[in-house]
Amino acid sequence: MGQGMGRPGLNRRHFLAAAGGLTVAGSFGFAGLGTGADALASGADTRVSYWNLFSGGDGYNMIAMLDSFRRDNPGIDVEDSTLQWGSPFYTKLAMAAAGNRAPDLGVMHLGRVTGFSPGRLLDPWDPVLLAKYGVREEDFNPELWKRAVIDGKLYALPLDIHVQLCFYRKDVLKKAGLLGEDGRIVPVTSTEEWFDVLKEARKATAKGRQTIGLWHNDQNFQWWFFVAFYTQLGGTWFNDARTDVTFDTDKAVQVLEFLRKHVADGYADPSFGGNAGAEQFVNGAPFAWEGNWSVPVFDAAKLDYGATPLPPVFGRRATHAESHSFVLPHQAGRGGATNEGAHRLAAYVVQHARQWAAGGHIPAHTPTLSTAAYRKLRPQNEYVSAMDHQATEPKVWFAGSTGILAQRVGPVVVSSTTGSAKPGAAARRMRSTLAELLAMKNPMDGRTAAQGGATA
Amino acid sequence: MTATSAETIVRPSRATTAADSAGVRRRQGFQHGGWFVAPFLALFALFVVWPLLRGLYLSFTDANISGDSAHFVGLDNYREALKDPLMWDALGHSAYFTLLVVPCITVLALLLAMLAHHIERGKWLWRLCFFLPFLLPSTVAANLWQWLFNPGTGMINHVFGLDTPWLTDKSYAMLAVVITTLWWTVGFSFLLYLAALQGIPAHLYEAAKLDGANAWHRILHITLPMLRNITGLVVALQILASLQVFDQAVVMQDFGPGPENSTRTFVQYTLEQGFTSYRVGYASAISIIFFVLIAAVALARMWLLRNREEGGR
Repeated sequence: MGQGMGRPGLNRRHFLAAAGGLTVAGSFGFAGLGTGADALASGADTRVSYWNLFSGGDGYNMIAMLDSFRRDNPGIDVEDSTLQWGSPFYTKLAMAAAGNRAPDLGVMHLGRVTGFSPGRLLDPWDPVLLAKYGVREEDFNPELWKRAVIDGKLYALPLDIHVQLCFYRKDVLKKAGLLGEDGRIVPVTSTEEWFDVLKEARKATAKGRQTIGLWHNDQNFQWWFFVAFYTQLGGTWFNDARTDVTFDTDKAVQVLEFLRKHVADGYADPSFGGNAGAEQFVNGAPFAWEGNWSVPVFDAAKLDYGATPLPPVFGRRATHAESHSFVLPHQAGRGGATNEGAHRLAAYVVQHARQWAAGGHIPAHTPTLSTAAYRKLRPQNEYVSAMDHQATEPKVWFAGSTGILAQRVGPVVVSSTTGSAKPGAAARRMRSTLAELLAMKNPMDGRTAAQGGATA
Repeated sequence: MTATSAETIVRPSRATTAADSAGVRRRQGFQHGGWFVAPFLALFALFVVWPLLRGLYLSFTDANISGDSAHFVGLDNYREALKDPLMWDALGHSAYFTLLVVPCITVLALLLAMLAHHIERGKWLWRLCFFLPFLLPSTVAANLWQWLFNPGTGMINHVFGLDTPWLTDKSYAMLAVVITTLWWTVGFSFLLYLAALQGIPAHLYEAAKLDGANAWHRILHITLPMLRNITGLVVALQILASLQVFDQAVVMQDFGPGPENSTRTFVQYTLEQGFTSYRVGYASAISIIFFVLIAAVALARMWLLRNREEGGR
């Protein structure tokens, strides 16, 4: 390349790099300004800064709950920031905690807490303060609470669980004779029964619509479905000491073959992956496996539909569950009125989660579930039992929503479901990936899962 | 330019030895020119040199995103990287993308430039049409094509009567990114070609015409040879840009790695290691490996070019 000729490209890149840097610097500047201005404007005694990842309908519900907290607690000023969901959120939270610029309160997926260096990036909850504001351990599902405890301390206060559901259209199922007298889908307890249901439903489905949308090419959803059905089979991941992989490839093959059959037998159309599954459902497809966060979407479309936990086709009931929970990002000087305000806010929202249920999530605070108001919610009342049948990822540092485990193993499940890998080969790859992850050191503390005290 | 003007001012005022005057020239040159390049140099040092050095240092540590407790681990990261199948996989995707994009974009840009050069009516409209997409931000271009490729409602399948799962099948996903990139960036190479075409002296064509060369011969024996240098530039720039593919692929797959990781590029893998897996040391090591690879490609090209020039002499 001639010298003069090489330059334009290089210059442009440098310019872009510099411009990017300025943007970043600029946004830090604005963030700094925002904090100061808000603190000045507020007349309240205590200001609690709170970071969350809720947008859309969830964001609307969260803001409504915050507003009602503000009405009830005029002495506390809540300054909430909504950040983008997914990995960027965790990166920002980690860097803020490491740089001692952390918010007073944050939200995380419970599965990610173990890998988030509790003790260094997260501070534990104060049980005395929580009790003062009405939070009691016995009001939560014991398994859920256990997952929030690390090294004997509570690091996460669960707000909800959110689960994978089998959504069905009552109008189509009625035509197919698949609705029971209670107006709900007929019970299914084996894979044969499930595919019989799909076969019947297909006959009643309008032309150009698939029978079921199950995100066959999405690594997160396919992984979540795998976790659900693998748990139904009683499969395990690692031994308690986290030294050995106990992953059962025979069970995994059963699950992978089950998922694959939906695509192979044409119930799920390969053209309608991703969001198209929900679009198809709105337009007349009888089934869609989706997260419970699709409830407001289908409500808004005014569909006549129901939603159950994923069918217990392998005998035992279990559907994938993650949980949004409140955390205290590490602050060097945590304490005092601000810290108490954070406890008070989190405790309030957890106990006033009726509004949150409108977003489809199942409130973690179980007394809410037995209120008359909640029992009237449809289809929430049809899948509330999922609280007692949670299938979760193993409690290790690399697990959790959109974490390393899902990123590594998810594509392997997809390769089998889409047919580009045989279930047997995919199951062996999953096992070897799990072994690699077990040997991997947590970058936050340089310890493997076996060495980490984080498994409690 | 500044140096020359300084030279002319300095020279008549003093009678000095040659060595002295060179020294004065150099100093004067910096005094005037230095301030002009200083803003650039400062940004360059802050955002290119410093991160590069810092990255090199971090690549020998087990640093994580929180920035504390990094230990020196020697060549461990590099050793792991060379054995990391996912890294090679991602590198393969970037290379595959480059292999598809570079020839296509070069040929397409040349054809479009010749078309725009020869069309008499509405010249400006053609130029605008071909160049305009290049002005779009990558996110806009990628989002637009995400819609066009939508299997159910997208225009591509509708117009061509296809049933192709463009974005959801691993055999098509990267192809979709390639098509998007062609449409989006061909305008830049097109512009380079157009300028070069206009620089070819008309008398060459006239002489050839007198000698009885037809249009095809004129293209083959005048246009293409005269464009050789600019083709070299277009290919070089495209290779360097394509190897660094990232944004359009990521946006088209909603920030995921695509079906079965098929659109996960090297840059994306580096980003994931650093900011999803929090392994800043490891991410630095693989980005240094990538830097070396890209530098090797650029050097290999320079070497080939020099050999050819020397051979031609």
